[in-house]
Amino acid sequence: MPNLKIDNVNKFYGDVHAVKDLSIDVPAGEFVVLVGPSGCGKSTLLRSIAGLEEISDGDIVLGDRSIANLAPRDRNIAMVFQSYALYPYLSVYENIAFGLRARKASDDEIKKQVDWASELLDIGDYLKRFPRELSGGQRQRVAIGRAIVRNADLFLFDEPLSNLDAKLRDGMREEIKRLHTKLGKTFVYVTHDQIEAMTLADRIVLLRDGVIEQIGAPLDLFERPKNIFVAGFLGSPPMNFMDVDVTEHGTSMALPDGQILSLAGTKISGKIKDGAYTWGVRSEHLSKITETKNTVRAVIDVLQPTGSRTYGTFFLGDCHVVSELEAHDVSKEGEILHLAVAIDRTSFFDPETGSAINS
Amino acid sequence: MITSNSFADKLDQERWFKYFLIAPAVFIILLIGLYPFVKLILVSFQNITMFDNELSYQGFIHYERLFDDDRLWESILHTIIFTAVALPIELILGFLLALLFLERIPYKQVFVGIILLPTVISPIVAGATWKLMFDQRFGPINQVIAWFAGHEVKLLWNIEPALVWPAIMVAEVWQWTPFMFLILLAALSNVDREQLEAAQIDGASWWMTFRKIVLPAIMPVMFIALLIRGLDLFRVFDVVWTMTKGGPGTMTETISIYAYHMAFREFDVSYSAAIAFLIILILTVIVVAALRRMEVSR
Repeated sequence: MPNLKIDNVNKFYGDVHAVKDLSIDVPAGEFVVLVGPSGCGKSTLLRSIAGLEEISDGDIVLGDRSIANLAPRDRNIAMVFQSYALYPYLSVYENIAFGLRARKASDDEIKKQVDWASELLDIGDYLKRFPRELSGGQRQRVAIGRAIVRNADLFLFDEPLSNLDAKLRDGMREEIKRLHTKLGKTFVYVTHDQIEAMTLADRIVLLRDGVIEQIGAPLDLFERPKNIFVAGFLGSPPMNFMDVDVTEHGTSMALPDGQILSLAGTKISGKIKDGAYTWGVRSEHLSKITETKNTVRAVIDVLQPTGSRTYGTFFLGDCHVVSELEAHDVSKEGEILHLAVAIDRTSFFDPETGSAINS
Repeated sequence: MITSNSFADKLDQERWFKYFLIAPAVFIILLIGLYPFVKLILVSFQNITMFDNELSYQGFIHYERLFDDDRLWESILHTIIFTAVALPIELILGFLLALLFLERIPYKQVFVGIILLPTVISPIVAGATWKLMFDQRFGPINQVIAWFAGHEVKLLWNIEPALVWPAIMVAEVWQWTPFMFLILLAALSNVDREQLEAAQIDGASWWMTFRKIVLPAIMPVMFIALLIRGLDLFRVFDVVWTMTKGGPGTMTETISIYAYHMAFREFDVSYSAAIAFLIILILTVIVVAALRRMEVSR
């Protein structure tokens, strides 16, 4: 099974530079998720790999052959589309068999493959039906079945879950991950949903404006974001950002509303220059304690219980901050809390460039 | 009690009011649709000749005449052959043109507009123009052929039995292919792009993609276009009339021209009514069969 190498790929649409000098190495068998806000170039890149878009510059190499100038049919790639793109006038069986028929497989071979795929995806009961008679989730399974029956070198997924309702999406996410393990093939998956990216990927490629912001394992990106954009994109609720002033040789900092937190005893203590920073704190790293020493004093503005956890919103100066509390930590809005901060798990960013400060 | 009564009255009033509203439309439809049809059937059982006032019931004499009228059956045969040749040509040319216009073409709308021009022209004018085009002495067609042939040609497009049908066919195809083109272009543009892309990735050939995805998708629209054009072709009159008047002899006489001839040249009004009824019968059978097929394909 070949690896995928995207080598300095550029894509222009007229004057618009959609993909900028992008390079990614995908080892064989890896599950890579391209994620980013809309217009970041992720779909363009995926379609370029499939051969549905021509790249303006650079190369795409699958194994030892360049596929950049091949027709889609000659790339031996399978793809699952957002709209499923099932063939409406063919039965489920014929939909799945389509690629095999196109490649002149024998009827026996086709039957074997379709049976295998339909059993794997649990769609054996619908083989005689037509796509319009299926629910969204069933259609998506058929679309996946159509992709996997061909012995493709590479599987592409273009936002395959975004047309499904939330509950179905969770189930399908798990199945796609299981499918990857079973098939052991290389998957390239595009989504705008950071949860999908986090849960599915071996490696996330986070894109913005046609450029890679960061590439790495999900928890790597989550815990060690390279910049404010990455930090803010991953995680729900999103990371809280506030402007802080570090003083006293990096041992103390002032929050936007004037409260002082000591950095003594943390990893960053003394290793950071005095000055202004953007401080990123995830809501789960703010927790209620009874002590008042070296805590953030918060007047809870809005409470949002979700059952297991409760989101408490408060303001530090002008800064809107969300903390993730135990369900019964707060009973009503307006309560005053003292929150301990897991400073070692927070991030400091240069307020000018947005880059993370390495401690 | 009073309230419930007045409520019932009001309902009643409303019920009548809606019939009152649609009455004019129903009346007009009956007037222009049903009345002529009934009148036609009545006339076909009389013997109106424009020369006397005899209006008595004559039974099926005109319908019996239909079966012995060789000229009638010949004109029907002409009509069927004409339709059977022109329709596929228009379909295929229109389809190829539509395929061409699916590609990105600069100023596409302008070109589509230009291509559509022939359909905008009145068929009478188109026929008259083509008659001049095919004129053996002054017409540009013979002139262009002469350039290729390298010597003067005197092809008698409006008289020569072997040439007269092709000439009419050219005029007809020229005028109505754009109609097919427009409808098929609309249908083809609506074929789901992701399905075509999926087929590309699946490795389907052009032919397989066309047969399994494109054709079924455009089939309903194509079918309607074929039906409309088929009916048009079956009752073709203007182009033939202006170019040949059915001649030479009765060589290019279509059923419409024959019916016109019997009614307004021979003044055999009741017989032409019987012919008209026959045409209606044939077209009804075609339309019903076509619509039934469409139901099945749905």
